[in-house]
Amino acid sequence: MVGEKRRSTSKNLAKNKKRKGPHLPNSILKTIANEKRPLNSDEEDDEIDSDDANVDLYEYEEGVPEEESRKNNRYDPVVNYDYELPEDFEDENVESDDDDEGGNSDNEEGEGDVVRHTRMLQAVTGMPSAAFDGESKRKPVLFTEAYPESEFNPTRDVLEGKGLLTIDDFMAPIEGKPGFNDLQKRISRMQKDTQAVVHAPLPKPERERLERKAVKGLVDKEFNKWVHMVKRNREAPTVYFNQNVSLGYSTVGAIASEFQPRTDFEKKMASVLNDNELGEAHDEDGAKLLELNEVSVEDHIKYRDHIAKMRSLLFRHELKSKRIKKIKSKTYHRLKGKDLKKSAMGALMDPEMAKEEAMKQEARRVEERMTLKHKNTGKWAKRMISRGLNVKYDGTRAAISEQLQINATLSRKMNSTNDGSSSDESDDEEELNDGSDQDTPSKLIAKAREKTLKTVEDDEVPNSGLLSLPFMARAMKKKNEEAIEEAKRALEEYEEWENSGGEENSKKTADVSGRRVFGATAKVEAPKESRKDSDNFYDNSDSDNDMEGIENNDLRAVRDTASPVRNTGAITETEKFDDDIENPASKTTFDVALFASGSWKKMKGCQNAETKKKTKKHVPYSKSQDKKESRDEESEDSESEAEQMVDGILTSASKETYEIPSQAELIQRAFAGDDVVDEFEKEKQEVLNQEVPEPEKPVLVPGWGQWTNIQKKRGLPSWMVREHEDAKKKRTLDLKTRKDARLRHVIISEKVDKKAEKLHTTTLPFPYTSKEVFEHSMRMPIGPEFNPATIVGSLNRPEVVKKAGVIIKPLKFEEANPNEKVDDEHPRSNQKQNPKKGGKTGKGQRKGKSKQKTKA
Amino acid sequence: MLSWRLKLRNILEEKTLKDKKLKTQLASREKLYGKSAKTAAKIEKWLLPAEAGYLETDGLEKTWRVKQTDIANEVDLLSSRNQYDIVLPDFGPYKLDFTASGRHMIAGGRKGHLALVDMMSMNLIKEIQVKETVRDVAFLHNEQFFAAAQKKYAYIYGRDGTELHCLKERGPVARLRFLKNHFLLASVNKSGQLHYQDVTYGGMVASIRTGKGRTDVMEVNPYNGVVALGHSGGTVTMWKPTSQAPLVQMQCHPGPVSSVAFHPNGHLMATSGKERKLKIWDLRKFEEIQTIHGFHAKTLSFSQKGLLAAGTGSFVQILGDSSGSSSSHNYSRYMNHSMVKGYQIEKLMFRPYEDVIGIGHSMGWSSILIPGSGEPNFDSWVANPFETSKQRREKEVHLLLDKLPPETIMLDPSKIGAMKPSRRKEKPSRGEIEAEKEVAIEAAKSTELKKKTKGRNKPSKRTKKKKEMVENAKRTFPEQGHNNTASKKRRIGEDAAAELPASLKRFARKN
Repeated sequence: MVGEKRRSTSKNLAKNKKRKGPHLPNSILKTIANEKRPLNSDEEDDEIDSDDANVDLYEYEEGVPEEESRKNNRYDPVVNYDYELPEDFEDENVESDDDDEGGNSDNEEGEGDVVRHTRMLQAVTGMPSAAFDGESKRKPVLFTEAYPESEFNPTRDVLEGKGLLTIDDFMAPIEGKPGFNDLQKRISRMQKDTQAVVHAPLPKPERERLERKAVKGLVDKEFNKWVHMVKRNREAPTVYFNQNVSLGYSTVGAIASEFQPRTDFEKKMASVLNDNELGEAHDEDGAKLLELNEVSVEDHIKYRDHIAKMRSLLFRHELKSKRIKKIKSKTYHRLKGKDLKKSAMGALMDPEMAKEEAMKQEARRVEERMTLKHKNTGKWAKRMISRGLNVKYDGTRAAISEQLQINATLSRKMNSTNDGSSSDESDDEEELNDGSDQDTPSKLIAKAREKTLKTVEDDEVPNSGLLSLPFMARAMKKKNEEAIEEAKRALEEYEEWENSGGEENSKKTADVSGRRVFGATAKVEAPKESRKDSDNFYDNSDSDNDMEGIENNDLRAVRDTASPVRNTGAITETEKFDDDIENPASKTTFDVALFASGSWKKMKGCQNAETKKKTKKHVPYSKSQDKKESRDEESEDSESEAEQMVDGILTSASKETYEIPSQAELIQRAFAGDDVVDEFEKEKQEVLNQEVPEPEKPVLVPGWGQWTNIQKKRGLPSWMVREHEDAKKKRTLDLKTRKDARLRHVIISEKVDKKAEKLHTTTLPFPYTSKEVFEHSMRMPIGPEFNPATIVGSLNRPEVVKKAGVIIKPLKFEEANPNEKVDDEHPRSNQKQNPKKGGKTGKGQRKGKSKQKTKA
Repeated sequence: MLSWRLKLRNILEEKTLKDKKLKTQLASREKLYGKSAKTAAKIEKWLLPAEAGYLETDGLEKTWRVKQTDIANEVDLLSSRNQYDIVLPDFGPYKLDFTASGRHMIAGGRKGHLALVDMMSMNLIKEIQVKETVRDVAFLHNEQFFAAAQKKYAYIYGRDGTELHCLKERGPVARLRFLKNHFLLASVNKSGQLHYQDVTYGGMVASIRTGKGRTDVMEVNPYNGVVALGHSGGTVTMWKPTSQAPLVQMQCHPGPVSSVAFHPNGHLMATSGKERKLKIWDLRKFEEIQTIHGFHAKTLSFSQKGLLAAGTGSFVQILGDSSGSSSSHNYSRYMNHSMVKGYQIEKLMFRPYEDVIGIGHSMGWSSILIPGSGEPNFDSWVANPFETSKQRREKEVHLLLDKLPPETIMLDPSKIGAMKPSRRKEKPSRGEIEAEKEVAIEAAKSTELKKKTKGRNKPSKRTKKKKEMVENAKRTFPEQGHNNTASKKRRIGEDAAAELPASLKRFARKN
């Protein structure tokens, strides 16, 4: 309500102003002022505080009585009277609610009024009419307000942007109120402060873009100086990170120099070490050190006593041992030995001792087995046995048996080092028994029988578990039966052996044991066989016939490969034949060959005769060959020739028996049958057909398209023909691009070897983009086998060289020469590290720098 | 070399390589390679202890007129010890084989005599009489083992003559060769089957039927491990264990091939046919370089320095490369040697690291001096004639560790590690697709439409039909997706503002 009232009053005032002449709204005044300013600067002073002045003036005018205002109009009475009087009256009568009508009527007055109005304004203000054109030219619009005006429903003026509210407008109603002056002062001050126009801030993205642009320039500049360095590092074949890194102290002394005593002990030590007195004493030839090193009398006495005691003890011990050594009583020694043994038994409990003992025992056993000292091999024992004295005299016999006993005990096998279980021991015992009782086979057999019986007897069937299942039980039973059968057989055998004589028995036992039986029989036969074999060998090796056989065989294989059976038959025949002839000679020659081989000597005699025979035999054979085979003949000739040469006599006589044709003739004859080149061409064609197959001829499915004559006449469909032609074309192209296309005498297979495909790469490795470049880079081997040792290192150096444990620090800026060439020989470190000067990293510094720059 | 350099310049200077980092890295690498080569050359020039010798003659004298006796007068005592004949008339023509270091030799007499000889001390280490035909002998990786092809089977023996293995699978073997780098024992048997057996674990790596009949001409190319066989039809076939078909077949001679030999660098092959011709082939182009007429060699051998020895009857001829350059070859007479008349040469083999050739013949074996045949300086990492047993053991382990799998045997082993050769073009390039599309569209446009019955023959229908055909033709070629998306992206980036509705225009980013 209050606001509304105020507005209404203000409007009322505005109307008053209008009516009272050249009173303009503030905005207009402002525009006017702006227009005016360049014209006369005198008024500017007034205008500067125009707002205040205007307000004052406005207020002042407000307060002026009507009569006086009339005075103002005195200069233009006529105009004023005509138009304003009736309105005035109305105005005075009617309150502010109606002034809308007045406004409307104003608007309705037409253009003529407007023109006049502007003219009036012009006259009043002395400004060109253009200043008021904007207002005047605006078309009058009728606004009927459906809603009461409020901040949500602004009036027409506001919409048109004309009647803008100013602070003055707001100030007007509170004039004269208690705090008004103060407020006004403050406002005026504020307005003075905000004299400089503050534009609306740019939208955020725009602003940020600008900011970025500005920053980018700076950062670019900052970064550009790194470019050379980066480029250098990128292009360097190797980057080093291990240079100039001192890893701390190099000597123990250096470490010790910084030692600070901390614990009590250390401090004590330090105090002694750093004692000046001591140091001085040490420096002065140590004489004073002795003084410092005083020993108390008590200590000395103690030490002396101790030594005396020890000496006396030693002496007494010596005496005792001497006495014991002198004792010759056997009983004493026996007792002592017993004691020792007891102690040893005690020691057996101790694993260490037991082990030692076992080792000793083992050594003794080995010695015994090696020397057989107690096996009646001594001189005495032999003599006794040979003379039969051991039977005669009980004493001797006892002695000998005792020796054997000792032998048995000594050579008993011990599972010494690993503590043997009872079963092992028993086995050992058995073994031992076997060994010792070999001379009594009957006993052995008895034992065996016993054992078998035992096994037969104690067949126990488990009551539970898998084995108790019926089928398992059945199987077990079967097995058992078998075993029992076998055992019975064995028992029978045992009995048989027992019945037969003792000596035979032993032999048989030897025979029975496994492979020996076989070996024994084989032994009898083997020599025979081997002799036979060797006989064969002799024949083959020395008689030449074998070789000849092969030759013949070979030749024939070439000649008639179709009949291998016949071939082999022939060989055997010839062999036999040869064998018959040469057998008498063979044996002797072999012997010579075998045993004289070390001496690189010739052999002569019968062999020569033999070879001669052979050659003779061969001449007719070679004659019988026909032309086509003469190719082979040549080699054979040489062969026979060689044989002739063996004799050391040049026997060209055999050759001279028939005429030698001229060389050309011979060659022609030799190769008359073969048209090798043609054959090869055919073969090539075949291979080509195989590798680049000819396209199949187009054929219709029988019956298709053959119903009428027309279709028949038309032939194959065009697409088929075309396809065929294309395939043909492709084939010719492929043939042309083959490696052997131009080489008539060569076939180069272009089959792809699938196994070798894994040796090729399917894709180019990363930095390479063209095959050519990649293969070029691959052409040189870089291994140590192909390069001098001085270059191998640099050829194979990894991209990054770094010591383990070295911290890679960020790049530090350094001036890089852009034209510098990468030099691999003088590696440049990327790291200048000083372990003592830690703390600041390059990165931090760089950051700081860049920040400063951006600020600047 | 030149072509490489050219290529390199191309690569480093321009278009082929856009990655600057890679470019500089490659450049530095190239520099290292150059340095390596230079250092190697320097080492060769200054540090190597010995120089290769050669035969020099004055004026009208010819090198091939120089006799062994003349040489013997000139050379030092140690070298003159290498001229000798060992006469063993009883055990027939001898085959020889040297170890890689040339220290040891195995001689196999046809009639069963195997002798292992230390050539340095001329010590007979072991000899055995196997009492069978011996067709060939070969050392395995060192002198501790050798293989002998005997009457029925091949056998492997230890240094002390003990039989270690009987290789029964191969049948009666005609020739044996050992591939050092692959540890494969290759053999060809009487029925023309080629076998490869890995001697490290004994597995048969490959057994190939050559289908060319019996042959006893077999040699290994030391460069790539490819085995060459000479056949009676005049062809030389080359094999690798991983394929059943020959890698290369060459028609070398009209008549049977009598022997084959490979230059140590693997680029040259010499063959001789029974029609008295000797041919030298360039294996990079498979072309004949030279034909030497009037000469049939029963056995051929290249020395380390590239001399070629050919033996026929009792006559040895040494051919030397007189051109002196590595690119062109012109082999001509260098030396001759005639054995005692009647000795039939069976096998020639240059002794590695010595100017010596071993001749196995019907009356034992001989050794003569051929100046300039052997490599004067040995590399103890490769082969050391003065190897101690400890070194030998260590070497053995190294060799085993460095053993190459059989599939690395190929004609050009430098291709290992390269890109897989594309069999066919898997994906046609974009241009090709475009061209094809064009052609298809053209074809669709130019097809004559059949004349249909009245109602269907309207021009409108015809055009419609044609359009449809063109569309169909287009449809068979899928659009290049990635290209479209790329263009879309660009559009979004650039003139999105223009396309936005007016209300959203103010949100479009300016510049």
